[in-house]
Amino acid sequence: MPELPRKKVGIVACSGEERAEGTVTRLAALKVLELLRPDDMVTICLPLFLAGGEGDRAFARFHPTVTVDGCEKRCAARATEQFSARPAAALVVTDLVGDHAQLGSARRLNDAGSRAVRVLAQQLADWVDALLDRRDDQPLRQTAEPSAAVEAACACGSGIPVLTLSVGGERPTLIAVPLIFKQLHQQGRRPGADGVAAELLGLVRIYNPIPEAEVPVYQAALEREYADFCRRKEE
Amino acid sequence: MNRNERVLVVPCSGIGKAYGTIGREAAYGLVEELRPGRADVVALSLLVLGDEETRARVQAAPVITIDGCKLACASKMVAQSGGKIVHAANVLDTHRRHRGLRPKGVSRLNSDGEQLARVLAEELAAAADVHSREEA
Repeated sequence: MPELPRKKVGIVACSGEERAEGTVTRLAALKVLELLRPDDMVTICLPLFLAGGEGDRAFARFHPTVTVDGCEKRCAARATEQFSARPAAALVVTDLVGDHAQLGSARRLNDAGSRAVRVLAQQLADWVDALLDRRDDQPLRQTAEPSAAVEAACACGSGIPVLTLSVGGERPTLIAVPLIFKQLHQQGRRPGADGVAAELLGLVRIYNPIPEAEVPVYQAALEREYADFCRRKEE
Repeated sequence: MNRNERVLVVPCSGIGKAYGTIGREAAYGLVEELRPGRADVVALSLLVLGDEETRARVQAAPVITIDGCKLACASKMVAQSGGKIVHAANVLDTHRRHRGLRPKGVSRLNSDGEQLARVLAEELAAAADVHSREEA
């Protein structure tokens, strides 16, 4: 199989800059990223689903994603579903603390806000474990405060490799296809050779759901794209 | 922007880099300290979702955007929402003008990061004032 970025759990925080609850979402996500599960989660700025590229929009299709929102508008959950894929779980701060909790300001959380961050971060870490199917007897890579600070990093600009196909008048975006092309080409598997089309389709279907009825048109489109890819490589 | 008109500040939602935190801190510095009562912060996620009330707000008031990377989500989203951007700031540009600062930290900025945020907030205040004078 192609060498894809390691599967992690994606966390998308609304980060709502107007409200303390938004700050709670951002700081909780960062706590998981920096301290609780640094090897197992990845995050992305919500606006990149619109302002970024197809690779950014593929985020929740590749990473099982937990959204965390500050209020009932649920911007992160709804935008993730609308522009990327349905999140595996969706948490809301007001479900945790109620609608009228005093958490401080958007700029500075008070003690109650800091407690909400800790509780929410633990809930997110539990979701990370559940989605990665980590059993209780498996040691966590990071369960306590590290001795050295870990610098958080987001997935902005490091999107999943994707290819947009033309299939029957539609333009679906398939993840991992550029890497699959590269791998087949490196293995000397040339377009039109015996079994290449089926192998290509099989690899693509590992990462992308393709309805059974549409398999022939997808296979034809993938063959065309792979032939173009090989031609460009060999020019 | 006349003296009674409030400017809206839309910082990026940058979550994984110090520049996002600096942009957000500068927005709060403008709204809470430098121009209290004359500026409000708007959450970018509401524009991502196309929230009608928020779209109407950015269409009806002068907007300052603050981006933390070259992808410029804040200015793109405000423009797509029909907002009138009177000043588009980017933390990277401000940092280039103050190369001696070494900002670090995401959930908590180091002192250079805090200083860069203050510098940016002052630039934003100046931009808001220029717009205010032009509209007067």
